[in-house]
Amino acid sequence: MTRLASASAATAYQKQWFAGLHDHDGPLALVNADAPQEIFRTMGIPYVVNQWWASIVAAKRRTQDYLALLRDRGYPDYVEQYSATSLASLFDPDPANAPWGGLPRPSIVLAETTGDASRKIFDVWDEEPDIAFYALENAAANDVPVRWWELMPRRWEEAIGSDRLDLMTGELEGLIRFLEQTTGRVFSESRFREVMALVNEQQEWNRRARDLIARARPCPLAVTDSIPSVMVPQWHRGTAWARDAARAFHDEVAERVAAGAAVCDDERVRLMWIGRGLWYDLDFYRRFQDSHGAVFVWSMYLAIAADGYLRYGGDPLRALAARFAAFSDQLYTPPWSAEWYVKEARLHGVDGVVHLVSDDARGSYFTTRALRAAGIPVLELHADNVDARAASPEAISDAVATWLDSDVRGPAGAG
Amino acid sequence: MAPVIGYVGADVPVELITAAGARPWRLAGHPGADQTAGDRYLGRGVDPATRSLLSRLLDGEFGSLDGLVVSRDCESSARLFYALRELRRVDPAIALPPLHLVDVLHLPHRTTTRYVLAKIRQLRSALESWTGTLISDDALAEAIEAHDRLRCLLADVAALRRSGRLTGTTALSIMADTTALPVSRAIDRVAQLLDGDHPAVPGKRVFLTGSGHDGPHVYEILEDAGLLIVGEDHDWGDLLWHRRVGAPTELALAERYQHNGPSAPRASIRARAAHTAAAARACGAEALVSYVRDHDDAPAWDFPAQRAATGLPSVLLDRQPYGDLTDGARTAIGELA
Repeated sequence: MTRLASASAATAYQKQWFAGLHDHDGPLALVNADAPQEIFRTMGIPYVVNQWWASIVAAKRRTQDYLALLRDRGYPDYVEQYSATSLASLFDPDPANAPWGGLPRPSIVLAETTGDASRKIFDVWDEEPDIAFYALENAAANDVPVRWWELMPRRWEEAIGSDRLDLMTGELEGLIRFLEQTTGRVFSESRFREVMALVNEQQEWNRRARDLIARARPCPLAVTDSIPSVMVPQWHRGTAWARDAARAFHDEVAERVAAGAAVCDDERVRLMWIGRGLWYDLDFYRRFQDSHGAVFVWSMYLAIAADGYLRYGGDPLRALAARFAAFSDQLYTPPWSAEWYVKEARLHGVDGVVHLVSDDARGSYFTTRALRAAGIPVLELHADNVDARAASPEAISDAVATWLDSDVRGPAGAG
Repeated sequence: MAPVIGYVGADVPVELITAAGARPWRLAGHPGADQTAGDRYLGRGVDPATRSLLSRLLDGEFGSLDGLVVSRDCESSARLFYALRELRRVDPAIALPPLHLVDVLHLPHRTTTRYVLAKIRQLRSALESWTGTLISDDALAEAIEAHDRLRCLLADVAALRRSGRLTGTTALSIMADTTALPVSRAIDRVAQLLDGDHPAVPGKRVFLTGSGHDGPHVYEILEDAGLLIVGEDHDWGDLLWHRRVGAPTELALAERYQHNGPSAPRASIRARAAHTAAAARACGAEALVSYVRDHDDAPAWDFPAQRAATGLPSVLLDRQPYGDLTDGARTAIGELA
């Protein structure tokens, strides 16, 4: 099957945009994936997403080179590799030979104080001359309503709780003032409202695309196509280009569904991939089509775009706070994470789940338990998504093939 | 008999538990205990000390608690809370005490203070509900005064230790004891220790940084190897008493816990390095040892700056097993001693 035009267009756009950053004169930010990028968009400050850059480095098989640079400086090369790769790029003695011409040096870095190591990684950035780190507080709730995806678009205050939203709104006001003072850029409330509206439009297109794919039999596209089609626009959200790219992706999916296109003509097993992308081995996602008729129909990237970003009503800054005050909970904290994955598994009619479990604190038990309780076979793959030292591509593929042979049956009893 | 409220993490405002007429009991793991349940529910990517703690809780080793308060002093405590909350939801057959998260945060901003104050007030309500005791302002004031008094006495213990007349193992043990006793008995216990005779103890004076230690096992190994731990910067040790509340109000309580530290999981590298350097200097340390447990993700990031700031001979023992040292670490310690 030919690649989606929207995937090729997104990748080409990103390359052109990134090349332009090397000539950029002015403030440049490096931000975490779950940071309120809309504020930078509003103020016209370009930003690179920390984990996106790590995915490029991994896809080019350069992660080990960069982790060695951390090790050389006395920092651990075995903690949060996905979030630490960009920092290591800062120490690259030969940036001209880095992927995509190398990571331009940012002047501002932004992250939440999630986990124990994330903030430390950004502290090291902060030690560099002319780079400032702005830390956002990360709060947690004592009790939460389970079905967050039904509440988030309009009843986000109820889903997240007023204390967390008060805190994050205050944090964002502080961030805006910090950026105004350090960059001289203006935060226009009118412009911000346009950005927020564009983001909602974009995610609505993603939601429609997700729903089309969930209902389609056979699966009309590869997850390796949907990921760039969704995520490159995601990193450019709040622009007309990103909104239009999401619409183009949806339209292309709709055409394929109408034409009965199949990523695998002999689709017998529908699989869900839970976890971050396996960036150093993207061929993995197609590897079981010929041998088992097994197709990965789901990754979190489109699904979280569909369910995790929409925020309507209320004060726009508070709505933005509601987008990020509990973002990682949606993916990694039970009951939200576990129940959402079950909902998505059922929506997409999957026959099995491959669950990537990294050697970190996020854990896997409750997600795996919930899926199995719903009657869905789960394979836990203990590996890292950028650091292949934890498990080789061969070992991972062997584990999946064995599991498909032994545990997974497609809807017609095949497999 | 007074209700017993278990708690996890040094970010739990114990004054409120005391003020509710209950006994606060800081829960800990044990390196020798079975850890199967903790491994199952938390996964092997979580600090093994917390996996051990959860295992002990589920195995009933803490008896019947009247409530359990968990803080987010580190990611593993947060994950412990999420696991317990989810277990209560999906497996109600597992006997668990009432559970409450007190989300004390640490960025030095007014917005954070306002948030922490709200969390303090919510904890106060939860404790009142659990114990059936209304926490009066007078009771809170009395509890704050008592716990601050205990912190003053623990500062005296630290001074005794710095004078070379108390081992790190003994100091850590006495501090741990105080987290399991009613505050009045804890005060008596520490006062009794201070009244005793304490001859000089030998050993190379080292400052210990890195992971927290919820038991004496690693201290014993290090001191048996010829070191004398004269100070540390984790919250089972000197960070437990370092900062006082100082005033009988909820706001003072919120600010004490917000600004307490700097702990490895929650403070910046810069703040940690400055604190470690000052504390090591105050202790007259001759060397710096950073002991970092496997899957305790923060401390190894601190080490390069701590080493530079202290200017002392330093050793990093990273990815260590819970309550023990690898052979390589033992060799490194032998060379340092």
